[in-house]
Amino acid sequence: MSYRSELTRTWWLKHHAFKAYMLREATVLPLFFLLLSLAMGIYSLWQGQNQWQAWQLIMGHPVVLVVNSIALMASLYHAWTFFQLFPRVMPIRLGEKTLSPKVLIAAQWAGVASVIGLFAWLFRGAL
Amino acid sequence: MINMKIARYQPEESAEPFEQSFQVPYDASTSVLDALNYIKEDLDPTLSFRWSCRMAICGSCGVMVNGVPKLSCKVFLRDYEQGMLLEPLAHLPIERDLIVDMDAFLKHLEAVKPYLIDAPLESENTAMAHQQTPAQLAKYQQFSNCINCGLCYSACPQFGLNPEFLGPAAITLAHRYNLDSRDQGKAARMPLLNTEEGPWSCTFVGYCSDVCPQQVDPAAAVNQLKVESAKDMLIQLFRGNL
Amino acid sequence: MTQKAKLKRSGEPIWWALFSAGGVCFAVFIPATIVFLALLMPLGVVELSYSQASTWFFSFWGLLFTGAVVVLPLFHAVHRIRHGLHDLKVQHHGLVKALGYGFASVLSIVCLTFWLLGFLN
Repeated sequence: MSYRSELTRTWWLKHHAFKAYMLREATVLPLFFLLLSLAMGIYSLWQGQNQWQAWQLIMGHPVVLVVNSIALMASLYHAWTFFQLFPRVMPIRLGEKTLSPKVLIAAQWAGVASVIGLFAWLFRGAL
Repeated sequence: MINMKIARYQPEESAEPFEQSFQVPYDASTSVLDALNYIKEDLDPTLSFRWSCRMAICGSCGVMVNGVPKLSCKVFLRDYEQGMLLEPLAHLPIERDLIVDMDAFLKHLEAVKPYLIDAPLESENTAMAHQQTPAQLAKYQQFSNCINCGLCYSACPQFGLNPEFLGPAAITLAHRYNLDSRDQGKAARMPLLNTEEGPWSCTFVGYCSDVCPQQVDPAAAVNQLKVESAKDMLIQLFRGNL
Repeated sequence: MTQKAKLKRSGEPIWWALFSAGGVCFAVFIPATIVFLALLMPLGVVELSYSQASTWFFSFWGLLFTGAVVVLPLFHAVHRIRHGLHDLKVQHHGLVKALGYGFASVLSIVCLTFWLLGFLN
């Protein structure tokens, strides 16, 4: 007697919270492309000088640059959402108080910044 | 006057739900629940809906307002001048009009053993039998504020896709008892929580926490339980119990 | 109790742990990696010669790099794609799992093998 309906494949289009969720999940698609590019880079490096140069040329191809730029934006959107989720999954207690999520989020972004700094330092002679 | 569209379902009349519109007078303090009672009293006595306390604490009056799960006593017509569609809570079978079958929800709540297990009595004096410091209370207090309204189940797409998923409220309740210093029942609860239907069906959409009228943050509880379940697997692995 | 016999422990914690670690790496290491290796370097703003790159990569640091920037994010991506397909009501759960984690494992082993071969040289 009760009426049951099934969720359709497009359930996520019905509310902005669901669209934001699907977008968050979709950030791994350009990441996947980047990871394949890096895997190719590792292979090329192993193969030798010529392949290494060839890989750099491929990485400079406009389409590749565009997709990897999208991957950069995707990684930042992922970081934005991931850093907010982390304090909720693992609240850190210091004695009686729980660390404020803002502190944890700021600390994670500091991590991102320091890695960029690290890469900048590693590449310092190469500019 | 506001135009309210209500999704009706009268199984003895027709096999399919249908929509009906009502013109409802309102002022600054008219809630959706007020409007539903007005409709039932003055316009259409066949309209069926659940309600009780009318002050957002009993959890009876859950309903979808323009596709968003809400408590009807806590939503005001003044905010919906552009129009309003009322539907029964999503992801649950519709019994009649705005009344849904809560059996799946209740079954999952029961299944996680939501009660103190083997809590040692610290005194024969019942007033002193269980003692707890403010810090011990703080560990689980937020998760104990659930009023079992079911809005989180309507918000959760994973429950919508698979009603066998224990769901936000039940898993939060399990976590609440696991965190309670008086309780000794974690081992009794974990076998169910370690299954696919436990926290592992959750993908942290997080919408359940958005709609919770009590700010319980069930998404946090479910995902904290993922950590506990993972730790449980590791411990059992080391003990050779897997 | 017969209830216990029916309850099957999910293997999900393993994949979730990889997904979580990969998520941290995706958030913390990937932005810098893209900026320097996928944008500034191909555009010629920074240069990385073959000898610099191979010396640096075929060292212990290259192993860390492969793990943190390729392997873990790969498992993160595959896990999310798998759950995303489930969300889009793709029903072949077992097949998606096998293909997904299988591909991630194979590609990880391939990359680690090339690192090892270069490292041993």
